[in-house]
Amino acid sequence: MSASTVSLKAGRARRNGSLLEYVVIAVIVALVLLFSIFVPGFATLGNLRVIASNSAALVILSCGMGMVIISRGLDLSLIATMVAGATVFALASGAGFSWPLALAVALLAVGAIGFINGWLIAYVEIAAMLATLASAMVVTGFFRYVVLGGEYLLLLPNTNPAVLFFSGDIVPGLSAPVALMIVALLLTGILLRYTTFGRITYAMGDNFQAARLTGLPVRTTTLAIYIYAAVMALLAGLVTSASSGTVDFRTVTNGTLLFEVILVVVLGGIPLRGGRGGMRNIFVGAALIAVLRNGMTLVDLTTQTQDVLKGLVLIIAIATDNYFNPRDTETDTVGDL
Amino acid sequence: MLPKTTKKTLPKIVSALALCASVAVCAGSARADSNIAGKKVIFVPISMGITLTEAWARGMKQHAAIYGYNVDVRDAHFNTGAMSELLAKAISDKPDVLVVHNPTVQLLARQIKQAESEGIKVLQINLQSNQPSTAFVGANWERIGREIAEDIVKECGKGSGKSGEVAIIPGQLTAADSVIMNEAAFKVFAAHPEIKVVSNQASDWEPEKARQITATVLQQHPNLCAIFGHWDVHTMGAGKAVKDAHLEDKVIVYATGGGDDKTCQAVEDKILDRVWSYDADGQGRDAGTVIDILLQGGVAADHTMLKIESPMKIIKAGPTYSPNLCFKL
Repeated sequence: MSASTVSLKAGRARRNGSLLEYVVIAVIVALVLLFSIFVPGFATLGNLRVIASNSAALVILSCGMGMVIISRGLDLSLIATMVAGATVFALASGAGFSWPLALAVALLAVGAIGFINGWLIAYVEIAAMLATLASAMVVTGFFRYVVLGGEYLLLLPNTNPAVLFFSGDIVPGLSAPVALMIVALLLTGILLRYTTFGRITYAMGDNFQAARLTGLPVRTTTLAIYIYAAVMALLAGLVTSASSGTVDFRTVTNGTLLFEVILVVVLGGIPLRGGRGGMRNIFVGAALIAVLRNGMTLVDLTTQTQDVLKGLVLIIAIATDNYFNPRDTETDTVGDL
Repeated sequence: MLPKTTKKTLPKIVSALALCASVAVCAGSARADSNIAGKKVIFVPISMGITLTEAWARGMKQHAAIYGYNVDVRDAHFNTGAMSELLAKAISDKPDVLVVHNPTVQLLARQIKQAESEGIKVLQINLQSNQPSTAFVGANWERIGREIAEDIVKECGKGSGKSGEVAIIPGQLTAADSVIMNEAAFKVFAAHPEIKVVSNQASDWEPEKARQITATVLQQHPNLCAIFGHWDVHTMGAGKAVKDAHLEDKVIVYATGGGDDKTCQAVEDKILDRVWSYDADGQGRDAGTVIDILLQGGVAADHTMLKIESPMKIIKAGPTYSPNLCFKL
């Protein structure tokens, strides 16, 4: 295959990726119009704030997952890491540590999880899906039985520093969780777009073997990517635990949050085989899920019906993704999902 | 089988056994002479690691220690698939009594029937299946649903000057407690058209999901009068949303629960306003007592289900409040 054919093909795939994004944007606009006309209370500033605040943790998690998927990886331990990080922070601050020290301890703990994930994938060469699935089980089991003594729930006192910080506004009208969500989006976007680390991440996702053969530090970059995802998970964990006043391990075992994170990334237009996409895609995917979830709650659909509709949306998104970004010998390589 | 006077004598037996148990527990490791030593009891809860099931297991084990029988706990970890498998294994182990905590009214019905047909006495605890068995110990969910609904009518209904808008947050729509409480509550609300249920969405027992639902509903219904959460743990998430919206003095947050110290803390922090507690600690003792009776051969005279209803405590701020209303594991 000539260089010009490859370049043509890559260009077409990029255009197709954008096409999916435009389709999703069109669906968001249609849903917003529909809900604004037919659902009382949807088109209000207060509801917009609720949509943003309810999506904060989801978007922060999606920043981590987005970066991992762009590098052609997958992190199924993200929610386990999120809850584990929130647990460490809650226990450390409960034990009398100052909040910066508690945060440092929690960062070390999630950093260790991210490092182990990255090491298993980059050095032991276990497929990302299997390595992170196993580490999710180890982390959940370890924290539940060794750290919490079998408990599922950790209730946070009102004096918990995370509860105090995330309950307030940074500036009037801008709550702390929403501010953190914006910071996560900007930081991830800058890292991906303007740093060498980001360019290597795209190169790994585009063609891992080529990136490796050209001498790019793919192993250390993989370590850094999974550590970054774990740090994002910790931030999301602090937002979630502070807003509900609990650290809840059932989010890992029973919840649909991991499913929603993958949904956001794929819907936004980041293909599961990596190499493309950015924070704009995360924003678009999260906007669709947030609007859909908010509208369905306002019209009082049961949780089960909401899950069915979200599942249908995911199937359609993956099928559309497959159609626009078909697998072929160029993209279907070792480590692919 | 107990004689025909069972209905009169059973409460006395239960009281006597409870008294014996409490004396023995207080006295330390005193052990009763009995012919039930060495018998096998298997307890299959929805999940350990929550105060409710931990308190029940503790109560049952205290009784087992007195009489010298064994209580084996098989934890399903909130996994209904695993629960069916654990129950199948428990039935094949042929215990003398099987204690089952039903996640839904239907899920374990066939297996409960199978266990009973194989001569295993099944005690259902707190959440009842569609399938009756030898005994049930637990809350009267119909009564809780009705009483909370009546209280909501009093606080939000005609003459209260409030909107009458109510949000219900069940755990799961098919869970036994949610099914019965919703049925009882809607029956009360049907007679009071001024009460409008504006949302009835399950939280899957998760506080964060309950918080998100409540935050959204409060936007659409800023004059919401009451929230009826079906479990105190997930309702704390809803209470947190009410507090974040600075509506804690306007919206009354109702819940039900086992009544541990965290519930009292939530009432003190104004996260929950009124909690109908079925006292999980007391339920553990009731379950232990019923197991003692079943192991000694007691069943209801007419072979219907032996039912022990848990006494209720209403925990709310005000002159009747005391932290002693809650227990600590």
